[in-house]
Amino acid sequence: MTIAIYLVDDHELFLSGVRAELTERFELAGWSSDVDDAIDGIRSTHPDVVLVDVHMPGGGGLAVIGNVLETNPDTKFLALSVSDAPEDVIAMIRSGARGYVTKSIAPNDLADAVERVAAGDAVFSPRLAGFVLDAFSDVMPVDADPELDALTPREREVLRQIAKGYAYKQVATRLSISVKTVETHVSAVLRKLQLSNRHELARWATERRIV
Amino acid sequence: MNEAPTAQTPAESAGYQFLSGRLTRPVDDRVVAGVGGGIAARLGIPAAYVRAAIISLSVAGGAGLILYGVVWVGAPDDEQYGSIVTAEHPASRRQQIGLGLGFVAVLLILESVGLWFGGMVWPITLLAFGGALVWERSSVESRTRLTSLANAGKPRSRVQIVIGASLMAAGIVVILTSLDSFQSLGPVAIAVLLTAVGFMLVFGPWVLGLFNDLSKERHARIRSEERAELAAHLHDSVLQTLALIQRSDSAQHMTTLARAQERDLRTWLFAPDRDHAGETVGEAVTAAAAKVEAAFDVPIEVVVVGDRQALGESPALIAATAEAMTNAAEHSQAQQVSVYVECTDDAVEAWITDQGTGFDIDAVDEDRRGITESIVARMRRAGGTAEIISSEGTGTEVHLRTGTP
Repeated sequence: MTIAIYLVDDHELFLSGVRAELTERFELAGWSSDVDDAIDGIRSTHPDVVLVDVHMPGGGGLAVIGNVLETNPDTKFLALSVSDAPEDVIAMIRSGARGYVTKSIAPNDLADAVERVAAGDAVFSPRLAGFVLDAFSDVMPVDADPELDALTPREREVLRQIAKGYAYKQVATRLSISVKTVETHVSAVLRKLQLSNRHELARWATERRIV
Repeated sequence: MNEAPTAQTPAESAGYQFLSGRLTRPVDDRVVAGVGGGIAARLGIPAAYVRAAIISLSVAGGAGLILYGVVWVGAPDDEQYGSIVTAEHPASRRQQIGLGLGFVAVLLILESVGLWFGGMVWPITLLAFGGALVWERSSVESRTRLTSLANAGKPRSRVQIVIGASLMAAGIVVILTSLDSFQSLGPVAIAVLLTAVGFMLVFGPWVLGLFNDLSKERHARIRSEERAELAAHLHDSVLQTLALIQRSDSAQHMTTLARAQERDLRTWLFAPDRDHAGETVGEAVTAAAAKVEAAFDVPIEVVVVGDRQALGESPALIAATAEAMTNAAEHSQAQQVSVYVECTDDAVEAWITDQGTGFDIDAVDEDRRGITESIVARMRRAGGTAEIISSEGTGTEVHLRTGTP
């Protein structure tokens, strides 16, 4: 079955470029360059994956994700932005995006990312993996939940491989595990990122505006 | 009555405007909550008169206070449009007279209903409107210069100020004669009080205007300085790069230029003002990557974890990293080189990875090992280690590590 995608970006030129790249492999459910339009459009077209820009007038990607997830909790979001500032990345992931890629991503990689998100897995760019390692490297907070507020050694190792620029398949080969296991680890990290109570996460992101 | 909309009487159109338009409370023109300013903007008359009317109605049984409260609650804060409405729809002379008569009618109705607090209402109304007349005129004058006020400006202003002052004086005299306690203050105190009130009314708008002008001017200057700085930077960087891109005929070269420009712009836009205590490891590696990228047209992705200040052992690692990046960019034929740097409490590690052609380390001739040897030797001298893993077809990974002394 073809994956139905929905594009949200206030930058028309970029929108038409991505549209041209992705319509070969996916069914285009719709697109919008406006936050409110996008929320209505996604609710009425029920796409599998929404590619959403971070910075838009009227609340940006956070508003789109927050509003849609309230009524359609099964919608999957892939954040797509020119910004790779930690506070943007972390905020989008914590609001419910299942992945974050920058707009300089190659068309093929973007299509792979969409498929991965549609399958329910997480998409971590090398940089996002770096952010997560950084954010979870600090000392554990006093009232921490060890289930959520720390990475397992294996998760840490998977993230380091991704940060080194290896694709999931290569990570699997290098660590002698299956691709499925890599995906499981990454999804677990995503869950920790979204649910973790670490107060430092927000503070960490705002402290490091430049990487 | 003519049915054509153009034949509406001014009063009708004023009423229409008042009812149909959004009544808002201006942010930039308010004494208490902007109710007077908002009503004035909708009616197209100076705010001073509306304020005078509110004061008078408040004395007359508190009707003004009720009106004020209702409008305060009902009308939202205006963001920016309030003052524009005034400028676009100044009330005609007929409308102004109509509004004035309406106001007097309201006062008379209140009096006949019995909603009236003693004999103070009429003198205070005189006082308020006289003050409004003077205030409004002198605020018009203050938009030009104080000197023109001293020269008594236009005859109309002078007449209005005199009329206003007379109305005020009459009001004050009526109040004073009806109040015994004021007379006990003595003539000097009364004179001082009158002079103070007069000065406040005449010079108040001018002083207020002066403060407003000063802060507006300061804001404008800051804005224009920021704009000039932005323009200068964009000119030096982005425009130059765009020109280069237009002259470039290789897609690879264009990508490199675009990436370099992007990185530069990002740094400029988002970098916090650092105290120049020293470069961090991440900054040094990123800068080195930018140089290699520019030289070989191969994108280099740098990820840094746990970034911290470059210490004694770091320069060797940074230099070796740069060398490894150069090797990868020059020889591997990879589309992209990845650099991952991890700083922990007791070590700094770097991995330089490419997924290019790779090579068989053992098969490389002794005399061509120079570059790899120099990386290994450099790290060894600095008390660290270097490990090169590569095989033909799978790419190369260089792992550098230095412990903290």
